[in-house]
Amino acid sequence: MTSERRAAGRDLPGSLIAAAFILIGALCWWDTTDMSDPDSYVFPRMVIVLMIAFSLLLILRNLLLGGGRHHLSTAGSWPRRVGLVAAMLLGALAMPLVGFLPSGIAVFLAIMLLAMYDPWTGFRRVVFPLVGFAIVVGFFVLFSEVLRVPLPLGSLFE
Amino acid sequence: MLPGIEYFAAALTPFNVALALGGVAAGTVVGSLPGLTATMAVAVLVPLTFAMAPASALILMGAIYTGAIYGGAYAAILLNTPGTPSAIGTTFDGYPMAKRGDGDLAISAASLASVVGGLVGALALLLLAPPLAEVALAFGPMEYFWLAIFGLSLIAALSEASLLKGLIGGCFGLLLSTIGVAEISSDVRFTFGSRTLLGGIEIVSALIGLYCIPVLIDMVATPDRHLQVEAKPRGFRLREALTISWRGKINLLRSSIIGTLVGILPGAGGSIAGLVAYSEARRSSKHPERYGKGEPDGVQATESANNATVGGGFIPTLVLGIPGTPPDAVILGALLVQGVRTGPNLFTEQGSIVYTFIYGLLLATVLMLPVGLVIGRYAYRSIVTVPKAMLVPTVGFMTMIGSYAIRNNISDVVVMIVLGVFGWGLGRFGFAVSPIVLGLILGAIAEQGFVQAWTIGSAMDDLPGMFFGRPISLGIVALTLLSLFYPLLRARLPARRGVVREASYDE
Repeated sequence: MTSERRAAGRDLPGSLIAAAFILIGALCWWDTTDMSDPDSYVFPRMVIVLMIAFSLLLILRNLLLGGGRHHLSTAGSWPRRVGLVAAMLLGALAMPLVGFLPSGIAVFLAIMLLAMYDPWTGFRRVVFPLVGFAIVVGFFVLFSEVLRVPLPLGSLFE
Repeated sequence: MLPGIEYFAAALTPFNVALALGGVAAGTVVGSLPGLTATMAVAVLVPLTFAMAPASALILMGAIYTGAIYGGAYAAILLNTPGTPSAIGTTFDGYPMAKRGDGDLAISAASLASVVGGLVGALALLLLAPPLAEVALAFGPMEYFWLAIFGLSLIAALSEASLLKGLIGGCFGLLLSTIGVAEISSDVRFTFGSRTLLGGIEIVSALIGLYCIPVLIDMVATPDRHLQVEAKPRGFRLREALTISWRGKINLLRSSIIGTLVGILPGAGGSIAGLVAYSEARRSSKHPERYGKGEPDGVQATESANNATVGGGFIPTLVLGIPGTPPDAVILGALLVQGVRTGPNLFTEQGSIVYTFIYGLLLATVLMLPVGLVIGRYAYRSIVTVPKAMLVPTVGFMTMIGSYAIRNNISDVVVMIVLGVFGWGLGRFGFAVSPIVLGLILGAIAEQGFVQAWTIGSAMDDLPGMFFGRPISLGIVALTLLSLFYPLLRARLPARRGVVREASYDE
């Protein structure tokens, strides 16, 4: 077995993630030391101990026996992936400021551009944004008027 | 003769039939939208019922409830996003079926299973309500704790890549469920000064994030179609679904009974029922290795169990005045407004209301088949044929508005997106999201049961007796161990038989 294969077999990313879980567990344990009532920390501490123990076992197993590779493919466009997450996050953060409807329309159009792989024909240029606009407005009316959900109107316009 | 059969005709008035039909259709549509739960569907439509006769009001609410629980299967199968928490288990096999081009078959199988489960639950309500209500009273905090652990034992089945990774994910999910203000002591836990986390992780938002965002991230990255397109129209594939149902009739019946029994337990709900039924279906299957890879029996186990909780949940609601599930709590409130007094005497003193409602619920459950097949077919065609440039933003926008609507809180939307990215990242390295979801869902029940039992056990100076000394607890512990180790045992048994056979040949 070559050294590269051994490294792959040891599942280094899995071990690193397990180490991160140990760190999270340690941080959470430290947080429990401020809690006054045993009812608050008895269950989380039990879970933290188990999580750290399983993480250590995983690291140990990967080091001694090799963990194998069970990794999923990351093929495809990374800019589009990042763009999707950024559009959704920025849209969510903008909602209290500019309101649900404008930011919802902006998020919809941004994701539409990111998910478009076919050529932008004249028909698509007109129909897709219009349908998107109708979907966002339709959901906005359904939630705000029928279901009476108080969707943010935007502090900038108040 | 069936009890209260004289009220059967009252349930079949054109008005009540229209309510059952409309309620099931409305509930199915609401339940299919991620973020809109059965509780919300019932709560929104409760004001409509105030002007109705109590039996008609109950029929409408029961129909909406059962439709919403069923509707959750669509998004679970077609988008890998449980429309309602009850449909978590449906994603395990429903989405792989849809990915390989059998989404229509999965929907038909789910429809049939939901009808069977709904009928079993409603019949239990009709025939066995008072004795079964006693079961709810026999469950103490310890039993709830072990029930949650039984649900967590599914981690073993869901951890394809590594059991250890699944267990770590499960613990992480349990830890996530404790974030925020502690229910029992009011201590603030694991927020690290963040106001966003003060309210805790909202379960439905987390579900949407962990299941749906990874699908969106992968959908937007490639030009491939989301689901395989069928070469030629195949209709509802009802005959195939019926064959599957008949072949798995024991699974359907067992899952429906599990759903009814779990539904009776106050606070347990359809998600636990579905997970427990799925676990049992996998354990008793001749092909447990097919589960999680598109096994129709897995879809049927979850869907029959979660719809059986509807009838099961009404048992403690009507007999004891204790709501079995969250939507039952809303319905109980509506009944009190109507002047209906729930209790052991309800079946004798106000039989006209109760029996008309139960027959109406049975009718609504039967109507769920045609309504569900038609809506399901439309949903399937839409998801398969809509261009990606429309599908991805529509689903993305729905996840945002759905997450927001649950608590009217932008923080839930942010947490949903962050958890989704986190789940996608972990998934790349063999850490599946399902164990995290299991921990998150079962965490509250597990902690409440554990802390109460621990407190009582400490006060009595008998912790082992508290945790292992009660017969129902021991029964659940035995089932949990069986669920965890039976696959290993079964794998060894044929091998040993093979060894014996080889030995006898040697002789």
